[in-house]
Amino acid sequence: MKEEHLNTPMQKEQVLNLDVGDVVYITGVVCTARDMAHLRIKKVLHDKESLPEDFNGGVIFHAGPVVKKVDDGWKIWAIGPTTSTRMEPYAEMVGQLSVRAIVGKGGMGESTSQSLTKYGGVYLLAVPGCGVVHAEAVKKVLRVHWLEELGVPEAIWVLEVNGWGPLVVGMDSHGGSIFKDIAQKATILKEQWFNVKPGF
Amino acid sequence: MSQKITKDRISSFLRERCCTTISPDVMYLMKKAYAEETSSSAKEMLKTQIENVGMAENQKKPVCQSPGFPTVYIRYGKGMNIDELADMLKKEIVNATKDGFLRPSMVHSLTRKNTGDNSGVGIPNIELEYDSALGFVEVIISFKGCGAELGNAMKIFTPAQIGEDAKGIKEFVIDTAIQAGGKPCPPFALGIGIGGQMDIAAKLSRRAVSVRRWTDHNPDPDLAAMEEELLDKINQLGIGPGGIGGKTTALAVKIGMSHTHTATCPVAVNFHCWVARRAGMRIYPDGRIQYLFDEEVS
Repeated sequence: MKEEHLNTPMQKEQVLNLDVGDVVYITGVVCTARDMAHLRIKKVLHDKESLPEDFNGGVIFHAGPVVKKVDDGWKIWAIGPTTSTRMEPYAEMVGQLSVRAIVGKGGMGESTSQSLTKYGGVYLLAVPGCGVVHAEAVKKVLRVHWLEELGVPEAIWVLEVNGWGPLVVGMDSHGGSIFKDIAQKATILKEQWFNVKPGF
Repeated sequence: MSQKITKDRISSFLRERCCTTISPDVMYLMKKAYAEETSSSAKEMLKTQIENVGMAENQKKPVCQSPGFPTVYIRYGKGMNIDELADMLKKEIVNATKDGFLRPSMVHSLTRKNTGDNSGVGIPNIELEYDSALGFVEVIISFKGCGAELGNAMKIFTPAQIGEDAKGIKEFVIDTAIQAGGKPCPPFALGIGIGGQMDIAAKLSRRAVSVRRWTDHNPDPDLAAMEEELLDKINQLGIGPGGIGGKTTALAVKIGMSHTHTATCPVAVNFHCWVARRAGMRIYPDGRIQYLFDEEVS
């Protein structure tokens, strides 16, 4: 298992080099995006309008922060991963945008796995439920998009992070997925427990 | 009869016991899990989670950015005055949101428009229970994480499907835990509601993990045995903290049961993330306060 410190924008080669179980620390720019931001991005692309951010080589963080308004902008009070599986329908779109790292919790499914392989990306797990720990890595709120329309949790918060991690590679660009492996092993156990053969 | 429930008391109870820390019984189980966990990555994750709670307490910040769904459970006895309590709770949730203790997370279910302050139709959910024998007013506030609820499941069993020794129900619970994997922020607690009709089973499943102490023992010996068996089996699945492996998957399994009709048996399975932002207090007529959910094991 490797430990890598990556800066944004990430190069495709850097993420191809990562395997399930590796630990990553990120420095640079991270964009939050949840359900409504993904939906909005999809609409913008469909209408052939321009996106507010360049996601090429970027990091998408499945998260909606607690923020405080301060004199010259915003402060992240607490932030952490939300359940990533909700963003599964946008797997292909996120791949096409050349997003190199998705950060979230709970893992994602087969469409994401295929997209990570096809376009070159990784899924990273951030420790769930740790709003203060993750907020400490955020140095600055650079910008926020679609705040009025989508509200605080669903807006795109563009954050500057420094040495953010440890983030664990849960899914890599070679089809590997910790979540899939664990579910398969657990299912075998379940079969042993409950599928007692007739007459046994 | 006056219980001296002041706005300030509700405000500090909400902020200091439900937002910037987790329930003491759950913290006890987290520390126990950390001591017993053998996987190094799982241990590391539990350590970060425990440390995060301490940081939130010290910095007076929300433990987790997602406040979940607010429910207030109120029990009261004869002659107890709870007139202003519901209004006060509603207002204090909005005030705590404005002050950064809760993220504004409540939206219109269809338009998805955020109200901006955690107000809304049916928010918070307030469940009142009158028991003439009670000599106090009990208030339990619970912010139950909603990402975790994506793993929830429900099934209406026939007697044949329940099977011998409730094998069918047990398999359904295990299957639900496998499907949910790392999504409900493990280590989670699992509430299981069995019986009644559909809505009753669902409510029992939520109440089981919301109002019971996670370290308690079910007074019904059959249910206690089932809780233990399921907890043991879930922790053998290897899902682990965060869902990346380990033996700490569930901290508790709690079953709530109601009798049901002879034709059916509804079963609801309800996840509660480890970030148990819930607190309870009993307010006595003389103004005395007793807090619930201490870490003592009963």
